[in-house]
Amino acid sequence: MLTNADAKVQGPAIETAVALKGVHHTARPTWKLKETVHFYRDVLELKLCHAICARGWGPDDHPDFIHFFFESGQGSTIAFFYYLQTAQPVDNVPQGSFVYNSVHTAWRVDTREELLAWKEKLEGKGFEVMQVPHEILESIYVTDPNGYAVEIAWQTRAMNAYDEVDARLTLEAAISIENETGDRVQAIDDIWKRKARMVDAYLAESE
Amino acid sequence: MPKIHVVDVPEFSGLIECARGQEGVRVSETRKGYITISSDEELVFTRRGCGFKPALWYTCLSGGIDGSIREYGRDTLRIGEKVAG
Repeated sequence: MLTNADAKVQGPAIETAVALKGVHHTARPTWKLKETVHFYRDVLELKLCHAICARGWGPDDHPDFIHFFFESGQGSTIAFFYYLQTAQPVDNVPQGSFVYNSVHTAWRVDTREELLAWKEKLEGKGFEVMQVPHEILESIYVTDPNGYAVEIAWQTRAMNAYDEVDARLTLEAAISIENETGDRVQAIDDIWKRKARMVDAYLAESE
Repeated sequence: MPKIHVVDVPEFSGLIECARGQEGVRVSETRKGYITISSDEELVFTRRGCGFKPALWYTCLSGGIDGSIREYGRDTLRIGEKVAG
């Protein structure tokens, strides 16, 4: 058996490219087992495809648990942990607040027709669905029994090289303000103004 | 002279068209992915004039501004000369 020390000396025999290949699973805890199974299996009609029912997970203080998965397309799954003898912790972030809802996963559909079909399906089952056209996404949102926001999104166009440059300049503008002030950015206008100067400089560079 | 940069992507085309339709407003060609809108007077846009839903309306300055935002409500955006200091 190779030790870590051996591996360092020998190095990898074959260079393997390092890249991510999409989502395998997202995972969140649940304290509402039957409601969660009902929502994902019976309402969204996703296949319950795998479950691990385990006694602990190594460390002595790790509770026994069920870890279960629903198919969500393209090889991805939506997973939950149901911990035994573990009380739900009090969340400092109020459920339903924008910070709470910022932790979410958006599930992709290919067409607007599919998006609207999901909306109709969920509303037909009595769920409140919010529909929002964003910049390059049109999305619907529904809240699962745990209070988690579930987004289903249709991307209206492919992201391109312009998006990439613009994203870089936006983040560089914001980080440069943080670096200069030693604080978090306080005003969105400051980013926009800083960014205009950076775009000016970018446009002045030779092609 | 207030100026804004707008990324040349389809979702912002309403803003570009709105600018092109205004007298005294200059709209550049696309340069390296950006279109620059400028004027010697105040730049004024309305959300309805751009045909924007709120989410897009509130991100339409993300390409950068050289000027001062005098009004940016749900329906009207006004950008004037930048304030010194």
